[in-house]
Amino acid sequence: MNTLSSSAAPTAGEYAGDEVSAIVLDPGYATTRAGFAGEDVPKSVCPTFYGYLDNQQPLFGENAVHNPLANLQIKNVWGSDGVVEDWDTASKLWEYAITSRLTGRKPGDPTKNGLNDGNKAEGENGQDMDVEMEDVENQEKPLEESPLLMTEPGWNPTKAREKTIEIAMEEYGVPAFYLQKTGVLAAFASGKASGIVIDVGASHTSVTPVLDGMVLKKGVQKSPLAGNFISSQIRLLFKNTTPEIPLTPHYLVKSKTPVDAGAPPQAVYREFPSGSAPHDSFRVFQEDRVLTEFKESVVEVWPGPQRFHQGPSEEIAKSQPGRPFEMPDGWNQVFTVDRYKAAEGLFDASAAQVDANNPRPKDEHTIPRLVQAAVQQVDADQRPMLLSNIVVTGASTLLYKFTERLQNEINQLYPSTRNKLVAPGSVVERKYAAWIGGSILASLGSFHQLWISKKEYEEHGSNIVEKRCR
Amino acid sequence: MPAFKDEQIIIIAPGSETTVAQLGLPESFTPPRVRVRSRMFPAEKEGEWEPYKVRRRQEGQNGEPEGESKKAGDDDDAAYEEDRVSEEGAVWPIQAGRIVNWPCFFALITHVYNSLNPPFHTPILLITQPAWTPREHERLTQFFFEKFKTPAFALMDSALANTWAYGVHTATVVDVGKDKVDVTAISEFIPHSQGRVIALPDCGGEAMTQALLSKLKSKGFNRDMCEQLKKSPICEILPAGTPLPGTEGANTQSGVSNPASAASTGALGSGPAGAATIGNIPRGPGEDTEVGEDTIPEENEGVLDVASIVAGGKMNEYLAKKEKEKQEKANAKKKGGEAPAVAAKPVRLPNSRREKATFVYEDHALLDTLKNMNLGSKGMAEARAALDEGPQRKTQEEMTDADRDATADNNGSRSSSIRREIEVGTERFLAANDGVLERIADAIHRTISAVDEVNRRGELWNALIVCGNGCRVRGFREALISTIQSKYIISPSSATIFTSEIPSNITTPTGTGTNTPQPQFGPHGGSSQVNPLLLAATTAQNPHLLPPGSNSMMPGMSHNTHSSHGQTPTSVKLVKPPEYFPEYKEVGFDESAFLGAQVAAKVIFIVDQAQSKGYMTRPDYNDQGPSGIHDYSL
Repeated sequence: MNTLSSSAAPTAGEYAGDEVSAIVLDPGYATTRAGFAGEDVPKSVCPTFYGYLDNQQPLFGENAVHNPLANLQIKNVWGSDGVVEDWDTASKLWEYAITSRLTGRKPGDPTKNGLNDGNKAEGENGQDMDVEMEDVENQEKPLEESPLLMTEPGWNPTKAREKTIEIAMEEYGVPAFYLQKTGVLAAFASGKASGIVIDVGASHTSVTPVLDGMVLKKGVQKSPLAGNFISSQIRLLFKNTTPEIPLTPHYLVKSKTPVDAGAPPQAVYREFPSGSAPHDSFRVFQEDRVLTEFKESVVEVWPGPQRFHQGPSEEIAKSQPGRPFEMPDGWNQVFTVDRYKAAEGLFDASAAQVDANNPRPKDEHTIPRLVQAAVQQVDADQRPMLLSNIVVTGASTLLYKFTERLQNEINQLYPSTRNKLVAPGSVVERKYAAWIGGSILASLGSFHQLWISKKEYEEHGSNIVEKRCR
Repeated sequence: MPAFKDEQIIIIAPGSETTVAQLGLPESFTPPRVRVRSRMFPAEKEGEWEPYKVRRRQEGQNGEPEGESKKAGDDDDAAYEEDRVSEEGAVWPIQAGRIVNWPCFFALITHVYNSLNPPFHTPILLITQPAWTPREHERLTQFFFEKFKTPAFALMDSALANTWAYGVHTATVVDVGKDKVDVTAISEFIPHSQGRVIALPDCGGEAMTQALLSKLKSKGFNRDMCEQLKKSPICEILPAGTPLPGTEGANTQSGVSNPASAASTGALGSGPAGAATIGNIPRGPGEDTEVGEDTIPEENEGVLDVASIVAGGKMNEYLAKKEKEKQEKANAKKKGGEAPAVAAKPVRLPNSRREKATFVYEDHALLDTLKNMNLGSKGMAEARAALDEGPQRKTQEEMTDADRDATADNNGSRSSSIRREIEVGTERFLAANDGVLERIADAIHRTISAVDEVNRRGELWNALIVCGNGCRVRGFREALISTIQSKYIISPSSATIFTSEIPSNITTPTGTGTNTPQPQFGPHGGSSQVNPLLLAATTAQNPHLLPPGSNSMMPGMSHNTHSSHGQTPTSVKLVKPPEYFPEYKEVGFDESAFLGAQVAAKVIFIVDQAQSKGYMTRPDYNDQGPSGIHDYSL
């Protein structure tokens, strides 16, 4: 099992034909997606945020991060630059994502599942010893049965990639491993081998030109203007409104009373005796939950064609019906013009809400400029082809009218080409495009030609990832 | 392969506390016939398991068989005996829904299978816990095919089974177990795997027992007492904000205050007049107690649209109540002559307004100790007699001053247990006070918020199924709904805006969206995602923007469902339990998963006959191996 070679297809008995039960892991900033290759949706979607209590093991999973324990901190394994920062926790978190809902804590070990207990007694003592020795090793390696396909952002540095394969091989004990960029996989999920992938996630927006299944590395653009940026914009909007809009997360509210629009909330709040309240980061994390709801139900991207601050846009917006929103503490209001302002910064840096802690975003970080910069790096004769395959993915692109605005912006940049957005209508496909692409790739019969087997890794070391996973 | 017959089908539903099973589908579906505590005892030989505790009996005892224990094995092995009641040293292979000890779990399943005593050619349907992973499903498949040589095998998710029982395709299933709660959103028969809350800790029945324990420890209660207190009808969870009897509020306000209005408006004070009248009218004196007691909760259902809230647990509770009343009536009659002054007053009050109440405690621990002392049956009887103070004392003590002194009561169904009566104060209402309900409500909110199709969320909120034996505690469902209502309901907000805009024939909305009259705006319906009043409010400001047609209710929403008014819930409802299962009606729908499994078994094994690959056959297994099981499910 541990000596898979990349040159020979697995025998039928070993893997039931092309039915390779590979696991696909797509770690993102907000959630980590994991599932079996060949399925159409990741079975395990767990928050990348984790709970931390002093001097204790990190707490993973939905249930842990939403439980207001005393002094609970909420942390994330990703750094602000879009590269994994806390590798120790990341490897545990990924393992949790896989074992909690896919494989179980202990993998199906034939010597332990109780089915072969009868046979065991018959075996010679010496052999038994060996088996048991192996057991001890196997127990620490949760994934020794499944090849693993992992995704990485387009800008992942060599060091991080090597670290990733080390974790997979050494800690998880995977028999085979492959690393692919999210951009390529998202394109695959839409059935494209070439195109421009615009991925607006939680922490970063990236624009990746993909040509024949290969990322054009110098064309990869990233910017921090993504979902979290919109959240901070909403916070600023709330703050700059007079009177300031209170943002109280659910866990602090015991019960609420309906109040008039704009009236101060009348809620019974939950009191935490001093010392038993969770850390501030917990509150921020829970506030984000409310903001997510706000994004879903209120925020709208100004569709264009002109920018929000140009021409009559704002006047038109004023005449649009507003959308109501109720806070967990009962405060409520109908949002009219303001709801267009939260996401405008993605396209127009000058329209972003600013204050001392949130400086004006850079112009080159807006989505149109990213696209422009990415296209610039591509040969001129390839550009029309790429522009007719613009794949839109990432949960933040689900903002209402986002794609319309994007289409308008791109048409303004490239009026002479046929620009076509590929934006899957299904929410799942939009959110988990990279994972789905990975699922397709890893379920192909030819996946074994791509992967790095354990043997190869042992021969060449972690550096092999640079040569094989481009 | 020949078709299967009803009487051949085996259904097994393992749980953390109880594993239930049944051989054969009866004409009318019944609650599971075989109930086994989900635990095994390690046998003397390592790796083997016994279903009952085996106790070594000392030599020189008289071989007289005792009432509660049977001889294990043959006569020459008489030094051992099985103890069917004791749980000392038991291993529980399923914890918080997860299988933690596989050999023990397999032994348990084998024990269940053998006790069903099935003939050959029995297909098996296994109810799976949400916490079980696909790999574990494979392992189970392998076990069932290879151990039992079953001709056909199917797995069914317990949450899905619940929707089958209720006959709905879209629902939010809240399964309250022993140590955990699972919350699953199911739309169109497909469970959402993202955002599904699996094994939420500290929320199940055990958490409530522990909550009681922490409050009663100082009064000398142990865990077992609290467990039985929780199961007794006097333990009750009151809706959020209800004052405890004996406190200030209880006297001024209706004790069983109107849960719905309290919840929907978020405060008790909102409608004191209404609540008070509802609560106070029908309490007649004397023999009319039954009316007085029952109408209070019942009326609430009728008045506000909460009928479904209680529906799920109604039967169960009703029965419990009935029984209690019977007892009380009997007491009242008996005491009528002797001490009317003492008895009359407390008897008439419903449980939720009484400061103190008693329950019967079966003392297993005491029994265990007695048994471990290896008394003969004579000694046992003597010991018991010593603890027994006569059954007639019971009635006298029940309502008056029953202290916790050991009062044995031998007229129970199980003569083996030693019973006594214990009195508890208002602590019995505090089982869920440690935030159990809040945690569950939050989990439901999270689960539904994680459903991608925003327009489905309203529907999911309006189709809650609260099941599992953990929610048998009286008042649990109502209290959970009331917690959700007080915390999460989105009221038809912006009151100022639309009371001025809306024609005056619409009354000012009261907190909930459910009972607000909507004469003009078409049927609100359980499935409506958007509160019409709210829409009216938002569109009324800009009437010129709306097309004059019938679609004026849905401005800008037809083309993108994602951006419809996304905030939910605007109302919360429980799914009404089905009417046509009389056997289940009697015991309540807490184990509805098993009912759903029966329906499903009928469909997949008998009606459908593998046409839509509802189960895996033995030849399929031989071809594909355990991993093939994922291709076979409904």
